[in-house]
Amino acid sequence: MIEIIVNGKRTTISKEMNIKEVIKELHYTQEGFALALNGTFVAIATYEITIIHDNDSIEILAPVQGG
Amino acid sequence: MTKNMNITHDTWEIGGKTLSSRLLIGSALYPSPANMEDAIKISGAQIVTVALRRQSAGEKSGRDFWNIIKSLGIEVLPNTAGCHSAKEAITTAQMAREVFGTNWIKLEVIGDQYNLQPDPFETVKAVEVLIKEGFEVFPYTTDDLVVAKRLADVGCKIIMPWGSMIGSGKGLMNPDNLLAIRKQFPELKLIIDAGIGKPSHATQAMELGYDGVLLNSAIALAHDPVKMADAFRYAVEAGRLGYESGVMQQREFASPSTPTIGTPFWHQFKD
Repeated sequence: MIEIIVNGKRTTISKEMNIKEVIKELHYTQEGFALALNGTFVAIATYEITIIHDNDSIEILAPVQGG
Repeated sequence: MTKNMNITHDTWEIGGKTLSSRLLIGSALYPSPANMEDAIKISGAQIVTVALRRQSAGEKSGRDFWNIIKSLGIEVLPNTAGCHSAKEAITTAQMAREVFGTNWIKLEVIGDQYNLQPDPFETVKAVEVLIKEGFEVFPYTTDDLVVAKRLADVGCKIIMPWGSMIGSGKGLMNPDNLLAIRKQFPELKLIIDAGIGKPSHATQAMELGYDGVLLNSAIALAHDPVKMADAFRYAVEAGRLGYESGVMQQREFASPSTPTIGTPFWHQFKD
């Protein structure tokens, strides 16, 4: 198990894995979000080659109303 | 022969698009999604602002909202609201481009949490990076002429000075400053962003020669947002037509509008 931060909350995942696998393990099934890793944008095209390590911080953002 | 009395409403170009409405509308703070949808439709706005926020696993609200916006068939302008540094804003812009499928970004880098005043230094820094990455940047700034110059220097074709503080509804605090920016940059697209509280504020902004007005709270927080959206549509059109028509010069003294020749009872003296 490793500990990561998802949208500001500490959580655990089973092991180091790529972003596509993390999304699945965290039950993010909806499309239409974007992701940043440690403050840097990660494009969808690179989810499978980007590995999440212990203490990494992920932001998962989706559309909302805005002014 | 009767003259054709149809007034031609002009179109304008911004960010590579040709639009007829000069009202840009926000999508936040409405009593309900249906009310938001009706207000946007009746406003005639062709650009709507949206944002990104954290999403929990299994949450559907983001997708539902995005589906409503897409169904409107108008341009989407994502913002970087809540960002306090160039780095945060750049990352948010990149995320927005992927989610919303547009290179337009309303750049907001806040420098003070109390009055939500933009940070000019971080804003300019972010603009430099975003323009290199192919974004069409709509930067939110104050009515400071020098900041506007810096934004133009780093390649902004659009600048959005505030009328007054975000959500304050106080209107145009410094119309002279706004006019100075307009006169200094006739080639840039200038949009008043923030502080508009009532339709007359929007008219005033347009009469100054601004290309558009962006607002949210003034419509969404009205007792009847849909009716207010309609009012703002007329207000922006009226201001633009007024500007195009050429406003009369102010005079120091009174000047009668009714002809003085033939004025009855004029200089009538009794013998």
